[in-house]
Amino acid sequence: MGRPRAFDTDQAVSTAAALFATHGYEGTSVDDLVTATGIHRGSLYKVFGSKRGLHLTALRNHLDHEIHPASAAIATLTDPRQALNAAIASYDNGPAAGLLLLAAAERAPHDPEVAALVAEGITALEDALRPSHGDAAPQLASTVLGTRLRLRAQPTAPKEH
Amino acid sequence: MALISIDRERGLLTAEFQGLDKLWTFKSRLEIPLTHVRGATHDPGIAREPKGIRVGGTYFPGVITAGRFRRDGERLFWDVKNPDKAVVIELADAERYDRLVIEVDDPRATVALIEQTIARG
Repeated sequence: MGRPRAFDTDQAVSTAAALFATHGYEGTSVDDLVTATGIHRGSLYKVFGSKRGLHLTALRNHLDHEIHPASAAIATLTDPRQALNAAIASYDNGPAAGLLLLAAAERAPHDPEVAALVAEGITALEDALRPSHGDAAPQLASTVLGTRLRLRAQPTAPKEH
Repeated sequence: MALISIDRERGLLTAEFQGLDKLWTFKSRLEIPLTHVRGATHDPGIAREPKGIRVGGTYFPGVITAGRFRRDGERLFWDVKNPDKAVVIELADAERYDRLVIEVDDPRATVALIEQTIARG
């Protein structure tokens, strides 16, 4: 029996999501996660099982709290330009905005559970663009993700601490 | 150093200890039902954590941590000389240990093997 949990799981998952979205899965060590979340290593393993378990939880959370609500909002727009702009804007905001994209590139080829979550996120975006773009929705969804990728490809100035 | 293997037919993860590690850990092998394996993580940083109380085994700080330890009420099994190759295997409550911290030859391959096995269910 471990000692009782004394931390905010949601806050920890959200902090972890931001780290994974910034540094990628491989680029985020357990040391990074322990330092940023303030959770004891033992508690982190107890609750999530592994770094992979925490990453899966962060991705699930990203879908439920960011991707799906954003998709629902985009689906209400019937004007093609408005819908596309809303999709690009929503995929470029939030601390975990790049999580889906990074998971798609880095983890999905090796992890069927990540692949399923990534597919769910991309399908949600495609479905959200259907009212405004009809059969062209999948291509537009790819454009949104491609735009996000191009933005990520630009170097950013290191943050001062 | 331990050799970790998966036997899908018997549903077991086996950690086989090599050479003198059998002496340090008092074990030649550990067998864990796959259903009790919650995850595996390459975690070199865990070697810097306080080890807790040694219940059985060998502990020369900075040289070798092997055997059974208790920390914060958790039961841990260690077999690590080189922290860079430490893999953490988290186990279900039903197991004798909460967590195994084991040095393996190729942490990336070992973690991938265990993760793929768990993901398949």
